[in-house]
Amino acid sequence: MSITVTPAVVVERSVPMAGAVELVVYHPPSAAAVVPGQFFQLAVGAPHTLLRRPYSAAWSDPKSGRLRFIFNVVGAGSAWLSARDEGAELDLLGPLGRGFELDGERPAVCIAGGLGVAVFPGVVQALVARGRTVTMLQGARTSAQLLPADRLPGADVRMATDDGSRGHHGSVVDLISGHFPPPFTGEGQGGGIDLFACGPTPMLQALIDTARRQGISLPSIQVALETPMGCGVGTCLGCAAPRGDGGYLLTCQDGPCVRADRIDWDRIEDHFHG
Amino acid sequence: MAERLDLTVDLGRGLRLRSPVLVASGTFGYGFDAPQVDRSALGAIVTKGTTLRPREGNVPNRIAETPSGMLNAIGLQNPGVDQVARVYAPVWASWNVPVIVNVAGDAIDEYVAVAQRLEGVPGIAALELNISCPNVANGLQFGVDPDQAAKLTSAVRAVTGLPLVVKLTPNVTDIVAIARAVEDAGADAVSAINTYVGMAIDVRRSRPVLSRGSGGLSGPAIKPLALHAVWQVAEAVRIPVIGVGGIMTPGDALEFLLAGAVAVQLGTVNYIRPQAAHEVHEGIAEYLQEHGLRDLRDLPIRSASVLAHA
Repeated sequence: MSITVTPAVVVERSVPMAGAVELVVYHPPSAAAVVPGQFFQLAVGAPHTLLRRPYSAAWSDPKSGRLRFIFNVVGAGSAWLSARDEGAELDLLGPLGRGFELDGERPAVCIAGGLGVAVFPGVVQALVARGRTVTMLQGARTSAQLLPADRLPGADVRMATDDGSRGHHGSVVDLISGHFPPPFTGEGQGGGIDLFACGPTPMLQALIDTARRQGISLPSIQVALETPMGCGVGTCLGCAAPRGDGGYLLTCQDGPCVRADRIDWDRIEDHFHG
Repeated sequence: MAERLDLTVDLGRGLRLRSPVLVASGTFGYGFDAPQVDRSALGAIVTKGTTLRPREGNVPNRIAETPSGMLNAIGLQNPGVDQVARVYAPVWASWNVPVIVNVAGDAIDEYVAVAQRLEGVPGIAALELNISCPNVANGLQFGVDPDQAAKLTSAVRAVTGLPLVVKLTPNVTDIVAIARAVEDAGADAVSAINTYVGMAIDVRRSRPVLSRGSGGLSGPAIKPLALHAVWQVAEAVRIPVIGVGGIMTPGDALEFLLAGAVAVQLGTVNYIRPQAAHEVHEGIAEYLQEHGLRDLRDLPIRSASVLAHA
């Protein structure tokens, strides 16, 4: 793992959906090294803040040396980051942790709730580049908070909103049974699917319930975990997530992307503030 | 002229460090994880608190950022002393940096057993007794009572030939009494201080942010408090004092050295700036040069102009 602590430069800032900010940064070593699903620890300079903020790279392009971060503005740290203008320097630590395992033959289904979608532009691109069939299921509270489908080229994008303002009226998890009914997803029947998930804990728990009901094996589901993060490199032990076989794993080292069977979904906390 | 500077530190019982800048327990794991840190330039690595048996640690949530600080309640998650002695120590023996094992426990017998297990194991430079963990049941019991602190220190002293550092808690009425007690009981040095007990509440959910309710506060928020504790302790004991608490910059470290510490530990800053230990070491060296000093022992410790110090 190559780790860099050199400054990145903000080259573009935009608002991809309501409440969120996208920063495009120029940092060739990071853009070349990052695997979809890995994260960076971004230093923030807001008064009285201290710790770095963990963000998955939304997308990266080794050729242009650019990578993107999409995040909600929820506190002093993200507000400070969201105010970085073009030309501002950012202190990135990373790439850190384990990304998604993207190789495979089966249809790939990405499922995101809320800002969990931030990790998927790069994931979709990498899956499509491997010749895989990709469906992107995206849920949000309202249509304004959905990432536009043109940010997810190559994927069949399906939407769900809590208020019914776009797509399915209800949970994004409902779209699994809607589009991939049990005869299709069941192992050994339709050949199965590979799931890639990121979102609030209640959504992930609902996904696990659905998977169990439909006979989707948990190891075929990869989840990008969200927990509080201190150091990001395995020393502070602050990002513990309950393991399926007891004890804890560290989101920063063992994750953030893990197979769903490794997690005790009954013991996991709802940390997601996005 | 840098080559003429002497930044070595003697912590007693043969423990000589090439730099006064150490990394504090719980902020550097067992030395294997920190990115891009030249370990051999550190004064020493102090390990995560190590207990007799492996511990899983506390239920999350374990950490929270607070104004200029952070709370932690990790709960001594560690692999146990056997793993440390069998697997980690042999690797440390090949490193060009002293590794000080931080020892924690629930009872005197447990501390003693850990010290015995580490006795004579190559790769271990010293022990630091954590008599002050605020994040486990009974964690503070030895650190808040001079008699208990002395009893524990004596018991470990009796079974180890290693240099013995005792890490003091600031969550006491009179830290000086504890410091004197462990000095009399055979400690070679003290580190001051551990975290302050604190808490944060999630107003949206109407519950503490940390699952344990309270946790240990670290970071720049506690630096003035830690500095005062070091000032008091350094005046009261003859053994070396290692200053720790919220140090972020060379200037912070120099404050502790001028308050009477012979060395410093960097903690929370390691999470934010992995290179901080080197920056602080270099900054101290520059300060010495600028002031025409060649040796840390030439620092004008404890300014005589402070008259009204209680």
